[in-house]
Amino acid sequence: MKKKLFNVRTLLILLAIVALFVVSGRLGLKVPAPVVSIKADPLFHIGGFTITNSLFTTWIVMILLVVVSLLATRRMPKDVQSASTNDLLPSGLQNLFEFVIEALHGLTKGIAGHWTPKFFPIIATIFLLVLTANWIGLIPGVGTIGILEHPHEVHGEEAKGAVEFTGFVANGAILTAEPAKHVEEGYFVVPFFRSPSADLNFTLALALISVFMVQYFGVKGNGAAYFKKFFDTSGFKRGAFWGVIGIFVSILELISEIAKVISFSFRLFGNVFAGEVLLLVMAFLIPYLISIPFYGLELFVGFIQALVFMLLTLVFFTLAASSHHGGEEHH
Amino acid sequence: MELAAMRNLAAALAIGLGAIGPGIGIGILGSKAMEAIGRNPEATGQIQSNMILGIAFTEAIAIYALVIALIVKFV
Repeated sequence: MKKKLFNVRTLLILLAIVALFVVSGRLGLKVPAPVVSIKADPLFHIGGFTITNSLFTTWIVMILLVVVSLLATRRMPKDVQSASTNDLLPSGLQNLFEFVIEALHGLTKGIAGHWTPKFFPIIATIFLLVLTANWIGLIPGVGTIGILEHPHEVHGEEAKGAVEFTGFVANGAILTAEPAKHVEEGYFVVPFFRSPSADLNFTLALALISVFMVQYFGVKGNGAAYFKKFFDTSGFKRGAFWGVIGIFVSILELISEIAKVISFSFRLFGNVFAGEVLLLVMAFLIPYLISIPFYGLELFVGFIQALVFMLLTLVFFTLAASSHHGGEEHH
Repeated sequence: MELAAMRNLAAALAIGLGAIGPGIGIGILGSKAMEAIGRNPEATGQIQSNMILGIAFTEAIAIYALVIALIVKFV
C-alpha cells in the first residue's frame, strides 16, 4: 500500500518551517556579520607559548582519533590463531574501521606494490587525520561559539580609505547586529574551535612532514645514491652539453621539491578555508535553505582533499623509493 | 579610486581570471578520461584514480588564486 505524499503530517511540518522563517524575521533576530580571519586567533597562553583556537581543535582531533581507535579494537582477540570464529567476527565500530582500513590498504597496494608495509602506517594516518580535521569544521558550534573581544584600533597608513571595523553591540553574552559607534564598546566573536586545516600552520607542518618522509624513503630505497638526483653529473659522460643539461635538470628537481611543500600546504589550506568562508557567506545570503547543498559540497571537498593529500604523498613515496634505476635511460 | 573599491576589484579579478586555466585543464582531463573509459571499460578503476590525481594538481592552481583573492579582500 503506497503512502500518500501530501498527508496531514507532511503539511504540518511544512507549515512549521514557513512559520519559523516568518517568526524569526518578525522578532528581529538578526545575527551580526561574521569576521573572517586568515590567521587563527589566540585563546590563551601557557608560559610564553600562545595556544590558538585551531591548535586547541587539533588536540581535540588527536584525542578523538585515539579514543575511537581504542574503542574499535577493544574486542579483537589477542591471540588470533587460537580464537574461535565467533570471536574473530567483527561487528559495529570494528566492522566500519575494518572496511576503511581494507579500502585504504587496497588503494596503497595498487600504487606502492611491495612497499606497502612500510608506507601504509603513515599514509593511513595522514588520511584519517586530514579527514577528521576537515570534517570537524562542519560541526555546528565550531567557528560560531566563542569569546567576545574588542576589535583593535586601526592607525596610520591603514586608516586612510579603509572603513574601520568597530564591532557590534553586545547584550550580555549575545551579539546583536547593530554596529557599535566606538571601538571600546563594540565586540566581535573569537571562536573557541576552528577547523585545523583552515590554519596554514597545520597544513604547512603536514606538507613538511610529507616531503621529509619522501626524502627518507628515497634514502631507504636507494641508499645515499638517492641524493645524486639533485646533483646529476652523469650527463658529462656523453659530452659537455649533456652535462650542463643534467645539472640544470637537477636544479629543477630541487626547486620542484620546495614547490611540493608549497603546493601541498596551500591546496589543503585553500580548499578548507575557502569552504569555511563560502559557508559563512551562503548562510547570510538565503538563511536556512541554501546552506544545505553547500554543506554537502563541503563534506565532499573535505573527503576529496584528504584522499588527494594521501594519494599524492603515496605517489611521491613510491617514485622516490623505486627511482634512479630507470633514470639514466631518459636522455 | 579609493582603497576599499580597489580591494574588491582586485579580489574579483584574482579569482575570476585565475579560474580560467584550471577550468579548461580539468575539462580536458575529464574528457580524455571519459574517452579512455569508453574504449576500455574494464580499466575504469585505474583510470578514475589517475584522473582524480590529475584533477587535484590542476585544481590547486585555482585554489592558489582563491587564497590570494581572500587575502586581498579580508586582510
